[in-house]
Amino acid sequence: MAFALTVNGVRYVVDVEPETPLLWALRDTLDLTGTKYGCGIGQCGACTVHVNGRPVRSCSLPVKAAVGATITTIEGLSPDGTHPVQLAWKELDVPQCGYCQSGMIMAAVALLQRTPAPTDDDIDTGVTNACRCGTYYRVRQAIHRAAALMSASPSRSAEDKR
Amino acid sequence: MTPKMDRREFFITTAAVGGALVIGFGWPRRAEAVDVTTPAAPWYREPSVPEINAWIVVAPDDTVTIRIGQTELGQGVWTACAMMIAEELQCDWSKVRGEYASANRDAREQAPAWTLKNPAGPKPAPTDPRGGGGSGDLPATNERVSWTGVYRRMSTHRSGSVKMNLYFYQLAGAEARERLLLAAAERLGVPASELTAKDSIITHAATGRTVRYGQVAARAAELQHPHPETIRIKSAHEFTLMGTERRNLDVPSKVTGQAVYAIDVKVPGTLHACARACPVWGGDVKRYDFNAIKSMPGVHAVVQFPRPDAGLIRNRQFSGGVAVVADSWWHAKTALDGLPVEWEYPPYTHLDTGNMQRALIDAMKEPGHVIYQRGNVEDAMARAARVVDATYDVPYLARARMEPGNATALVTDDRVDIWIGDQSPQETRFSASQIAGVPQENVYVHTTHLGGGFGRNGNGPQAEHAVMVAKALKGRPVKLQWTREEDWSVGTTYRAMGAAHIRAGLDADGYPIAMDLRAAADSNAAAPERGLTPPAYFVPNLRVSNHFGKFHVPCSTRRATGSPSNVFFVESFIEELAHAAGKDPYEYRRELISRSTIVFEEDWLKALDLVAEMSGWGKPLPEGWARGIAIDDRRNNREEADVCTICAAVCTVSVSKAGAVRLERVDVAFDEGFGFVNPLSVRKQIEGQVAWGWNDAMHQAFTVKDGRMEQNNFHDFPVSRMSEYPREVHIRFFRTNHWLEGVGEEAMSQIPPAIVNAVFRITGKRVRSLPLRKHDLRWA
Repeated sequence: MAFALTVNGVRYVVDVEPETPLLWALRDTLDLTGTKYGCGIGQCGACTVHVNGRPVRSCSLPVKAAVGATITTIEGLSPDGTHPVQLAWKELDVPQCGYCQSGMIMAAVALLQRTPAPTDDDIDTGVTNACRCGTYYRVRQAIHRAAALMSASPSRSAEDKR
Repeated sequence: MTPKMDRREFFITTAAVGGALVIGFGWPRRAEAVDVTTPAAPWYREPSVPEINAWIVVAPDDTVTIRIGQTELGQGVWTACAMMIAEELQCDWSKVRGEYASANRDAREQAPAWTLKNPAGPKPAPTDPRGGGGSGDLPATNERVSWTGVYRRMSTHRSGSVKMNLYFYQLAGAEARERLLLAAAERLGVPASELTAKDSIITHAATGRTVRYGQVAARAAELQHPHPETIRIKSAHEFTLMGTERRNLDVPSKVTGQAVYAIDVKVPGTLHACARACPVWGGDVKRYDFNAIKSMPGVHAVVQFPRPDAGLIRNRQFSGGVAVVADSWWHAKTALDGLPVEWEYPPYTHLDTGNMQRALIDAMKEPGHVIYQRGNVEDAMARAARVVDATYDVPYLARARMEPGNATALVTDDRVDIWIGDQSPQETRFSASQIAGVPQENVYVHTTHLGGGFGRNGNGPQAEHAVMVAKALKGRPVKLQWTREEDWSVGTTYRAMGAAHIRAGLDADGYPIAMDLRAAADSNAAAPERGLTPPAYFVPNLRVSNHFGKFHVPCSTRRATGSPSNVFFVESFIEELAHAAGKDPYEYRRELISRSTIVFEEDWLKALDLVAEMSGWGKPLPEGWARGIAIDDRRNNREEADVCTICAAVCTVSVSKAGAVRLERVDVAFDEGFGFVNPLSVRKQIEGQVAWGWNDAMHQAFTVKDGRMEQNNFHDFPVSRMSEYPREVHIRFFRTNHWLEGVGEEAMSQIPPAIVNAVFRITGKRVRSLPLRKHDLRWA
């Protein structure tokens, strides 16, 4: 069946079964491979994308439920890695293996949109992605750093809402 | 120096990956149409300008491409290996980019004879006038790997990326630098000896004239050095780039989603495979019914594959299975879920964690394999004022890297291509050659980044599975992708389950005069003696033995191999002795280490004192809080080995009255030998190991029932999140004067016993069986 999806501001039509997880439509049909498969059961968060601005585990969302929604993936965050969260991530050299980091960054961006100056407790409850390398120490620092960058240049914080 | 390359490597590697960007409304282009090069794809390519040597290409714009034989799986080798070369090349670090070396070229081309042996020998002192180098020669060659090919050691294990490779990486950089200097000398009409090189600029000091590397690189590629065997590499004290903190070269591509892992590879025309193997290791397929699924969407075929040849996968036993092949992975997985399969079970279905644990306990009643002995344990035990006796156990553990195993393979009559994040491309080259029946010279391993490895999980049988399935579908690329469940139940190897029974006799002052330490493990365990040869705490009458239960579970080198089990046993037991003696656990350890016979006893005390000071050891804490301490080093024999990494940790823990444990703060004192390559990467490795130690202590266990693992995804094998990571982590490095064994796993084993020791001080409950979450830790 054909489904119209709006991803990173571009309208696509994908021809898949309605129950196909959004994750696989993004990765295998649209070649947006920045979003990763980790567990397939909505646990680890490696597949986190934004659906209407909210972080969603795309391995557990059927394509049919994403029709009409505004979807943002890591590729849509910035064309060149200059979103404040990406800048903070590079400054603090956060990733190790990096596999979970697309999802981690998408969760952090969503948190900062809801809570522009998060406390450590906000971060604990707002970012629930798994990182097996254990980059949490730098993730926390980078979220605080990104919050500072975004408050210094507020226009950037709206980037993901286009 | 450059061999004639098969042009197809160029074609396939450049055509393999792409992001098909579709503007506006329309049908996305299918993978068949993709033909663009994505720079984030990290594998080897033929350069567009001549290389200087097999490791280094300098472009006219001064961009330096460094070929890397090690695989980046989060430990920072992509950067560290480039730093070892750039240190000698003396190029502008901001112009360096990485690319994986070619295992195919390594099969076709030998390393020059003059590069095979370091004239300074193994482990040169940091000021050795003959030059620097690594901690030793490469291990003996075997039929799978020669280590004399042009890229020498394309393995990423044994913490060897620096200690084993330093010599040949430095030499590659030095040889290229010397040839750039010769080319510049020719261009400027001056002797090379009057030139200096720094930051990609060659300067003739007397005249002030300069040339850039990019201006002379093409000429350097043609020139040969007249006496390459005279090229000296820097000793550690001469390093200027190594030892400085450098952000990792792969990080920018990992914050945009552009970094290419094997799971992201798209080869035109690919079929997708989802595999399932018999859940009891050593089993096979009895029958399956393709008719039940063949009309499902996109289904192309079912391929049955045999048990992988154990000789190809370091003697681990896996199962035979089936793979459904379809036009997309989701179609393949959906069909596999509906495929009726009957298994031929091996004779291990009676095994479960309970009877396996009893087998280990029984094994410890036998004399076992004695790995250390001094004095007379039983005589001294009989004289003891008091005997302390404890039994511990630890479960099987998976590495749980985030990227489930996968590989894309294309097999034809005379060639194999495989795209994979692989910790040992040379071994995979051998495997593919054996399975497909083509010479190794015709196997092309296109290496990608790997989504975690943690001790050779990037060496699972995913490569063998993919080649076996692709062989059945010759001429079509096949991407085989395990589900998470398949990765954990039959695709991975495990840290061995284990147990220990330790008995000590104490003198009237509470110090041990006798100890009988029996450590048991699955007989497939990796390095079951690690940390026990001997324990660093002096006991005049000591016997240490390994005991084994023979099981069928494939075990291997999970991060830190035998250390997390053994350090949990020893560091818990020494704490029990300190408690029995009524002494402070830090002071008690200090006393027994200062009596020790081990090499580097002073450095152990340095680590222990430093971490005590850092953590505020002995200072008051709120009710329900306590500190726990633990220490370990990594080496083969503590009374002889001079290559060693020492680390001590203090965990500050809180336990609520309801029994909820929190890791509040971790202090780590870590051995820096006479210097790291990239201290930033070491810091990151230690930060990550704090999470690993916490998970080992608190959450993780694989249990066996009916001969198979009971856990198969993150819901029943938890990995901690942000909320459980300590808010405070303090890391300090201390100087010693020895070669380091490694930096990626030496801070992990201390965390569980330090936590358990703190939990005891709060609750009075001594946990001897991990993980902690099994236990009721309420206290009043």
